Amino acid sequence: MTAPEIIFDDVSKFYGDVLGVNRVTLHIPPGITSLVGPNGSGKTTLMNLMVGIIRADRGALTVRGISPDHPEQLMRIVGYATQYDAAPRGMTGLEFVSMALMLHGFTQAEATRRAWAALDRVSLTDAAKRKVGAYSKGMRQRARLAQALAHDPDVLVLDEPLNGLDPLVRAETIAAFREYADQGRHVILSSHVLQEVDVFSDQVILIANGAIMAEGQIRSVREEMHEHPSQFILHCRDAARVASMLIGDAHVSEVKILDDGAGLLVMTRRRDDLAAALSRIAIAGIEIDGVIPADENVDALYEYLIGGGR
Amino acid sequence: MNISTELRQIGVIARLELRRAFLSKRSFWVYLLALFPAVIFFGHAIEVKVRQDRWSREGTVQPAVLDRLNRGMTYNEVIKAAGTPIRDFEWERRRRDEDDTVRMRHVLLFDGRRRSDLTFRNDLLESVHTRPLASLDEDRQVFAGVFQFFFLRVAVFFGCLGIFLNLFRGEMLDKTLHFWLLAPARREVLLLGKYLSGLVASSLIFVLGTVLCFAALLWANDPVEVQQYMNTAAGHELFRYLLATVLGCVGYGSVFLAAGLLVRNPIVPIVIVLFWESIIGFLPQMLQKLSVLYYLQSVCPVSAPVEEGTPALVRLLLSPAAPSSVWVAVLGLLGLTALVLYAASRVVRKIEIDYATD
Repeated sequence: MTAPEIIFDDVSKFYGDVLGVNRVTLHIPPGITSLVGPNGSGKTTLMNLMVGIIRADRGALTVRGISPDHPEQLMRIVGYATQYDAAPRGMTGLEFVSMALMLHGFTQAEATRRAWAALDRVSLTDAAKRKVGAYSKGMRQRARLAQALAHDPDVLVLDEPLNGLDPLVRAETIAAFREYADQGRHVILSSHVLQEVDVFSDQVILIANGAIMAEGQIRSVREEMHEHPSQFILHCRDAARVASMLIGDAHVSEVKILDDGAGLLVMTRRRDDLAAALSRIAIAGIEIDGVIPADENVDALYEYLIGGGR
Repeated sequence: MNISTELRQIGVIARLELRRAFLSKRSFWVYLLALFPAVIFFGHAIEVKVRQDRWSREGTVQPAVLDRLNRGMTYNEVIKAAGTPIRDFEWERRRRDEDDTVRMRHVLLFDGRRRSDLTFRNDLLESVHTRPLASLDEDRQVFAGVFQFFFLRVAVFFGCLGIFLNLFRGEMLDKTLHFWLLAPARREVLLLGKYLSGLVASSLIFVLGTVLCFAALLWANDPVEVQQYMNTAAGHELFRYLLATVLGCVGYGSVFLAAGLLVRNPIVPIVIVLFWESIIGFLPQMLQKLSVLYYLQSVCPVSAPVEEGTPALVRLLLSPAAPSSVWVAVLGLLGLTALVLYAASRVVRKIEIDYATD
């Protein structure tokens, strides 16, 4: 049986004359998927399309087999923490979460119990009975996260979920995402903290100007980019000698000795050829202490694909 | 999803929205509109009570004395029969075409219920104008006029506009509509829940206004007359006024709920609906049925007074609707409301979050 997916099939969305996303086709498997792109690139549009609060002008999409045209089914399995900061007037944090649960059909007692549990997960129980309007930005963020988590959905859609969280809560939240994803659920999130996304995402979707630039695991995306050389840092004692042995190889486009002289940066168009070259160097008796990929992070991909603007 | 779940969702949505409908700052002027006529009627009642109390202390005459007053009686004869009047004011009048100065006198008598204004000319009673301090019949006419010309056309109209137009549009302005759209509920369920909350809130507010107004009307008048009225037409008339109030909320509520889904600028629906409701008297019977006011006028128990000599055009504007039976009116209005809500449900299915452009 195939895993349930989130499928975008040639989806386009325009806001009047302004492009939202253009002809997006995606198959998102369970796990943590990060949408990465600059402001206005279409990340929020993709998320809003997923939950049906905006409609595609063209194409079709389903979330685990359910169309956004059926919110009564879809929102039972989806929790969405939007970037919209406002909550209905006069609601406390507890009401904000429990009222949403009551719309799911939970009794008031059960909704309250679940709301406390969700608020506890985001460390917001102390402020649960204060008005959401009086919360700080970070607290509102956590309240939205609690609301998204409270009904234990199969798909978590989180727009910039780590903004405004303190380091401890951030670490706990990321751990919760991991736990969710490990249960075969979807966690779709967008973030500007690229290093974090890099670390905990199962796959990334790079988006710019409403178009998908790349998708997949960070490493595999990187490998598909043949036009950009891969970068490796070699840690070794005799950097100058290693550099002289590599510079003549056809697959090597550039070699730079690091400022501290304790290694060098090598750019290669063919990873396998570099591996063979390193074996040759080792056989020649030159010790290589470590080989570290220098551009298998989202920042580097981003720069290659989109052209430098993070 | 079964019906009972959806009904429960409608209940939850309505309950959540009710608090906002009753307590939001936007609702403040709805209370003002709803209670304004009651304030006027209570003011009138208090004035009657204060005057009655003061005049009773200053001296009343026997009712039979007031009935015996006739033109031609002298001032002394009247005073002898009635005793000291409540007010006795004398002045001299001289007209250009008259050579002599005329001595005029105004005397006010009160028998505890009726007041009698007497005018003397050279000490001879020239005119007698006796009337109840407060007249239930007259007050009922005034009530009918206030109810139809102010309460239904202004208070309920603008009150519903304030409550129902904001059910969706207000959420869009507050950037909170997504909270509702992310609920696992059909959009039609959301629409009905919100409509129900608006309906309950507006109906309660305006029913309260009507009841207070009616209570003030009764309080101002003679208890005997009121008792007689209570035993005959009062229950029926109050029921019809309350029915018209609730139906006004039902009808205008649906129209403004739909308008709030369709337009961003509230001026547009106000002008269009106000214009439509005003001109229905000039429209063919078929089109008149697409007006809320057409049905409401048929439900009102007492025709609103239109003064004699009022131009036909104005008369048509003030009282345009052809009379129809109450139950036809009720069913007609409910049918019109169902039609409007159905159209609104088509729109709400496609509603999108678009905060940036608001």
